[in-house]
Amino acid sequence: MSDLAGPAAAYSPAHAGAGVPQAASPAGDAPCFTPSDFVAVVNQTLEYAYASVLVTGEVASFKVNQGKWVFFDIKDEETSVPCFMSVWGLRQPLEDGMKVVVRGTPKLTKWGKFSLTVTKVAPVGEGSLKKAYEMLKRKLADEGLFDPARKRGIPERLTRLGVISSTQAAGYADFVKIINARWGGMKVSVAHTQVQGMDAPDQIIRALQYFNERGDVRMIALIRGGGSADDLSCFNDEKLVRAVAASKIPVICGIGHEVDESLCDLAADVRASTPSNAAEMLTPDKMAVRARLMTEMGGMALAVKNAINAMLGGLGAKSADWKRVICAKIDQNAALVQQKWKLIAALNPERVLERGYAIIAGDKSPGGVVKITTFTEEIEAKIVKIQERKVQDGGKEGN
Amino acid sequence: MAEKRGISEKIAELDRLSEWFYSDDFRLEEATAKYKEAMKLAKEIESDLAEMKNEIEVLAEDFSK
Repeated sequence: MSDLAGPAAAYSPAHAGAGVPQAASPAGDAPCFTPSDFVAVVNQTLEYAYASVLVTGEVASFKVNQGKWVFFDIKDEETSVPCFMSVWGLRQPLEDGMKVVVRGTPKLTKWGKFSLTVTKVAPVGEGSLKKAYEMLKRKLADEGLFDPARKRGIPERLTRLGVISSTQAAGYADFVKIINARWGGMKVSVAHTQVQGMDAPDQIIRALQYFNERGDVRMIALIRGGGSADDLSCFNDEKLVRAVAASKIPVICGIGHEVDESLCDLAADVRASTPSNAAEMLTPDKMAVRARLMTEMGGMALAVKNAINAMLGGLGAKSADWKRVICAKIDQNAALVQQKWKLIAALNPERVLERGYAIIAGDKSPGGVVKITTFTEEIEAKIVKIQERKVQDGGKEGN
Repeated sequence: MAEKRGISEKIAELDRLSEWFYSDDFRLEEATAKYKEAMKLAKEIESDLAEMKNEIEVLAEDFSK
């Protein structure tokens, strides 16, 4: 009976309502219980001493009963501890041989069997994490959770942003630094949560619910900097991945480094390779906007200049047409003038004299003196006789 | 009193103005006025860019419970 002395001594009726010894033992120095009271006392003692424990080991004899209850053993080289949990608490796939960490409460059943009632279980170590990741990825992909058709883009002119991250994390600091450097005028609400460890998924889920219930942000950024596979494994939690996919508000994930891939990344509307990349995707760049302003103003000025040149070019074409018409008119008139000039020249009295005619001026009565002008001479002559001349036929020809 | 426009609205307005210069609606007679309007808008945007800051609030809610 000496092996009961420890726990019995640790037990104090002052902090428990069960297990009060029924009677002294036959030996008189040890408490005596009914089996039910004994189990109750042991459980209360365990709860007092180890309300929650973490145990790391390898999964063995994994099975699910009635689709509701999960049983497995967690073991090392020498010892095996039975574990029990509900299927809803299973957030990542398990199978025999996986290395896991479980959080649970030790308990003695009413059949006297010891087990760990598990509240959380997560794979640890590269091999187990990879295996669990691939199994869950297949399952969720089959359900269409990663379907590109489900994905929404980043809203234009984002003014309200929700951020889920640890405010202590380097990734968060990078994110804030970059959005402040690139843009301004945004109202950013930050939900501070754990971003690694077994409690992180539930905290992040609550933050997602918070933003979805409030509905005052237009995009949610889930941010976490780089880390080991174990550190980032919380982003492969099935319930969290489903919450990301189900969010009414579009979600952008910027988790880890460029080479890291989480199931939250795949379920999110937008995947950024890092927190810094998420900040770049969410915000326009002031420098780029300034460059665009210059390009647009330059383009407008050029459009005006081109329009003016086009107009002047049009005037030039018209003036050439006018010139052609005017020149043609001038040429036409010049030809007419020349023609007239030839006619006038032909009527020049000198030309008539040249052809042998003479001009007679003076007193043309008998005895009068007249002046006769030929092409080469001027002659004074006296009129001797005047008689009427008969005009010959054809005398009017040449008029 | 006219509602104060945000920088995004101003940029969108500038984009619209810029598009007008390349559209069939372009008229040289109106271009000077439009260009002056665009220039004023560009200066306002530049000033807004220099002044604007993000407002970052860490929520008081405790998500661990």
